[in-house]
Amino acid sequence: MDIGFIGLGLMGRPLALHLASAGHMLHLWARRPASLEPFKAVDALAHVSAAEVARHTDIVFVMVADAPDVEAVCLGEAGIAEGGKAGLVVVDMSTINPNAAREIGAKLAAKGIDFLDAPVSGGEVGAINAALTIMVGGKAEVFDKVKPLFEKMGKSVTLVGTSGAGQVAKACNQILTGVGVAAVAEAFNFAHKSGVDPARVREALLGGFAYSRILEAHGQRMIDRNFAPGFKAWMHQKDLRIVMEEAHRLGLMLPSAAAAAQVFNAIVGSGMGEEDSVAALKLLEKLSSPD
Amino acid sequence: MRLGFIGFGTMGSPMAAHLLRAGHVLHVWSRRAASADFLVEQGALRCESPEAVARASEIVCTNVTGSADVEGLAVQLGRGFAPGSIHVDFSTIAPAAAQRVAALHAEHGVDFVDAPVSGGGVGAQNATLAIMWGGKSALAARLDPIFAVLGKTVVRVGEAGAGQVAKACNQMVMVSTIAACAEAARLAQASGVDFGRVREAMLGGSAGSRVLDVFGERMARRDFAAGVEARLHHKDFALLADAAAQVGAPLPVAAQVWQMLNALMGHGWGGRDTSCLLEVLELPGGGAE
Repeated sequence: MDIGFIGLGLMGRPLALHLASAGHMLHLWARRPASLEPFKAVDALAHVSAAEVARHTDIVFVMVADAPDVEAVCLGEAGIAEGGKAGLVVVDMSTINPNAAREIGAKLAAKGIDFLDAPVSGGEVGAINAALTIMVGGKAEVFDKVKPLFEKMGKSVTLVGTSGAGQVAKACNQILTGVGVAAVAEAFNFAHKSGVDPARVREALLGGFAYSRILEAHGQRMIDRNFAPGFKAWMHQKDLRIVMEEAHRLGLMLPSAAAAAQVFNAIVGSGMGEEDSVAALKLLEKLSSPD
Repeated sequence: MRLGFIGFGTMGSPMAAHLLRAGHVLHVWSRRAASADFLVEQGALRCESPEAVARASEIVCTNVTGSADVEGLAVQLGRGFAPGSIHVDFSTIAPAAAQRVAALHAEHGVDFVDAPVSGGGVGAQNATLAIMWGGKSALAARLDPIFAVLGKTVVRVGEAGAGQVAKACNQMVMVSTIAACAEAARLAQASGVDFGRVREAMLGGSAGSRVLDVFGERMARRDFAAGVEARLHHKDFALLADAAAQVGAPLPVAAQVWQMLNALMGHGWGGRDTSCLLEVLELPGGGAE
């Protein structure tokens, strides 16, 4: 199949390569030509614009940073909507505001282009190992068309609901991971201040109701004091900003997510934005009474 | 072994029964005689006082509600304990209270072990509890056979009081995750998205947890009736907030969760499962339902 892929960063590059390995012809466009380097060895054609990518393909994947980037790629000058024929499917795997996703989907639909929001969880490692969790919003028949390709990129693929539902699921996911990382950091800092070894605490908690993937993986990184990303704190800050924007728009009270968002604001504000989210522990240590 | 057991609530009853079935001689006392009847019928020996339980046992287990209950019992047990006895307390109490009881017993050559558990009534019945204990490491040889009958994860966290610190950590991580789950459910619902599907999508990924599995499912079904009584979590949060204040450890997320539990209690929902935090979030109304 002729497949377009736009956004060849840390996440997009391995995903596009999985599609190439599966025997598909890639059509690429990148703002920076250097991003195309890893594709010299596979079946891939570079185009001069997103519109040209759309003109030559049946499905275009997008994996960029935030809503304005998705909008520019899809609806901007020389964007996908300019080149795409009716029946084209655009799959946005970026994490953006659910409402923005719905609006982009509606504008593409007006041109006969189908849209799926399909944000992922699992980070760069999950992308490289094709082990991502993919949360999809859109029409069932469009999802069915794309599903075999999703399965080349992830191990858990779920159609959550209609347009925007994938982004809602991702926002939910980020509430749980953001609060989870902050809660584990609070617990470990509290244990340390109480004269108790957080490593023993983690081990004791893993067998009980507090068990989570966050406690297991992020908890271990906190104990190892390994703050290298992983998932960068500024990205978590951005994702929690989306959650709080939606809470504001819908008039929802989300107290623990709001507290976690403040923690991530402070992590980024104290210069640790490029570190992994587990830098939450260092933030709490800074805030604590001295040992 | 000659054991004693005091405290036959949701947790204590199945735990005591497991010890009896494992072949131990079990001495029991309860404030209301009736609550220990089911054990006496199975062969447990009824004693007239906590002091008598201590006199008859090498190790006495207690599982009661608050710090004051444990401290009161410890004084009574102390009158009966022979030097070399062990008091194992499974209750969730303040770390500082556990340290006070340990100091009290130490004066008479008696060891104290704080061994709070996680896993709820179901974990107690199935003997799959996580047991986190604090006390002298030399006691492990005598305690391990008992713990093995009650739980599947047994970790010695540190000296006396360390078990309660671990339990406080357990509660802040667990209940904060329940709150996060409720907030996720609220956002999904207000966005017109089925939380059951969202939960399913998230379970296998980085947001996966036992809370999302068990409590998330209750939220998806809106079944808040059974499970862990929220009032117990509310009690635990008062303890852990106090303990954190004493050591100067900030808890920005847990502090918010505590306030949500206060609101839950204010509505008289303490007897329901903590997953009803979702209904606390729904109180203000609003959102596209």
